[in-house]
Amino acid sequence: MSSAVQSPSAATEDGRELFARLDSLQLDAAVLSPAKRRDALERFLATRSGREKPGRFWRIDFERIVPEPNAIRSAATVTVEGGGPGCIVTNLTDAAQRHPELFARAFGRSGAGDGKFGALAAAFANGGAFVYVPADRACDEPISIHCGAADGEAIFPWNVVLVERGARVAVIEKVSGGAGAFICGVTEIVTAENAAVTYAVIQNSGPGSRVLSHRIALPGRDASVAWASAELGADLAASEISVRIDAPGANAEITSLFFPSASQHVDVVSTVDHRAGEATSETLVKSAALGDGQARFLGNIRIAPHAQGSDARLRDDALLLSRRAHIDSVPALEIGANDVKAYHGATVGAIDADQIFYMESRGIERQSAERMIALGFFEPAIERFPTDAMRAELRAQLAAKLS
Amino acid sequence: MEAMSQQGLHIRDLRCRVAGNEILKGIDLNVESGRVAALMGPNGSGKSTLAFSLTGHPQYEVTGSVELDGQDLLALSPDKRARAGLFLSFQYPAAIPGVKVANFLHAARQAERPGDLPPAKFRALLLEKMEQLGIEPSFMGRYLNDGFSGGEKKRLEMLQLAVLAPKYAVLDETDSGLDIDALRAVGESIAALRASDEGRATGFLIITHYPRILQYVVPDVVHVMIDGRIVTTGDHELAHRIEREGYDALRTSAVV
Repeated sequence: MSSAVQSPSAATEDGRELFARLDSLQLDAAVLSPAKRRDALERFLATRSGREKPGRFWRIDFERIVPEPNAIRSAATVTVEGGGPGCIVTNLTDAAQRHPELFARAFGRSGAGDGKFGALAAAFANGGAFVYVPADRACDEPISIHCGAADGEAIFPWNVVLVERGARVAVIEKVSGGAGAFICGVTEIVTAENAAVTYAVIQNSGPGSRVLSHRIALPGRDASVAWASAELGADLAASEISVRIDAPGANAEITSLFFPSASQHVDVVSTVDHRAGEATSETLVKSAALGDGQARFLGNIRIAPHAQGSDARLRDDALLLSRRAHIDSVPALEIGANDVKAYHGATVGAIDADQIFYMESRGIERQSAERMIALGFFEPAIERFPTDAMRAELRAQLAAKLS
Repeated sequence: MEAMSQQGLHIRDLRCRVAGNEILKGIDLNVESGRVAALMGPNGSGKSTLAFSLTGHPQYEVTGSVELDGQDLLALSPDKRARAGLFLSFQYPAAIPGVKVANFLHAARQAERPGDLPPAKFRALLLEKMEQLGIEPSFMGRYLNDGFSGGEKKRLEMLQLAVLAPKYAVLDETDSGLDIDALRAVGESIAALRASDEGRATGFLIITHYPRILQYVVPDVVHVMIDGRIVTTGDHELAHRIEREGYDALRTSAVV
């Protein structure tokens, strides 16, 4: 018996109930056919996550994460609003039914449904936001998405953002599941040439909740995409953030901020895949851990052999605020081309004693000094979030976690 | 008489060990309100160690006594020493990315003088002091000492001095590494503080290698420290003598 396969009894038992639930929910076939949903669920059950295994610090076993079948809702509670003339801002099922050509140009194109939890999200995809911005439309106001799950609910939101050439848009999302909620979602961004998209999300789900997200962007030629994500809530937040550069001249930015405290676990994997040349990417990761907080960051930069002229930067700083807090940072650079620039810098450690002494020498109490320094540590990442309200919310939530 | 004698920063038999080595070997020194004491000495004589000992560096083992207007300074944590009225201009101030200059200065002023100025008035005070020091208003939005040039750091230390107007200020080689314009700006800002209502009573301990800065702030008394001891004390003429003759003559007499 191969150890690479999940224990058959567990898989069969979980699987039987999940298949039964999938069949009984009769989810929208315009989004994904029943057969494809069953295939996806099979993939979920048969695939290993490839993520951190439980150990001395890390206590979550990704291979055993399975939603409670009866908690699965037929529709995810996702609301979306904003957009200007010519924009389509609606929910996923509406888009699949009323705008099938646009829907087909983006949905599932990123391969987000290929991995273990992407497959789970595809199997039960039961709502989400669909945003379409026509050519040359500059949206001044951000489009806002709220993704919520009631206590104990399991939802599978799938958001799609399709942006035509020369258009410009910012999307801001709030993910807030209730206590014990299970959220497994995908966000895909597909752009034509010269588009500019910023997508920023703050996850602040309740105690006992688990939030797994997979976000992937496909910028067109000379387009810019920027992800900014903050993982603050939930017992477990597992987030994959990727940009796949298939067209030259693109500009990718990934900002990830996370802060496990108490016994929270955060697992973030960022990936920038330079498959076309003359593109730039910048990944900035700022993390802190407090209490028994555990975090793991894997930062992938891949530059394909023909992707000459790529310029990739990865900066990741981790701040340990207690003795039992733990953050593992693993950069992984695969550089296949020779005419490229690739930079990686990382720091991990406690707050610098000289910084504390300097602030104390100005009358500031030690605890206040530590809080100011820790908040300041996050500031370069906070500044990359697109609205004043979002930045203010982040500062307030981080300050609350620190006090 | 009793109350009068308590005024001042009084250092008695101050000894300091750093990583097991005795750096200060019994310092006696007074800084009086509204007066300027200069502390000169060659590199490695212990001048900065004295500054950090007064401020409460966590890794220094300090014995002896220091009284600030009658208060036992050595019994206090560094933040409490600052709130008691002690200020140190750091030779190498720490950079704190993400903490903006304006927010830091406001937090420091609030810590040392809680609620004494509403934010709008604080801002006006800040702008006035910045203009005095030739500091651009854009400075306020920059991260504290992050990417600052040597001169910018020293100007920011002087801005803090002006905004906090402490009872006693120790300036640790604030003049070193400054070009002539920055030196003049620093010197004039100290003179301006001493002429102001808030800073009239501030007592200064100016630590320096060179008498340059003493052209702007004429010391009432000059102490020379060599090898962890005060070896001689005089008036401002002593500073000029050191400029002409160097420390070697004093070093010889110290051994004798």
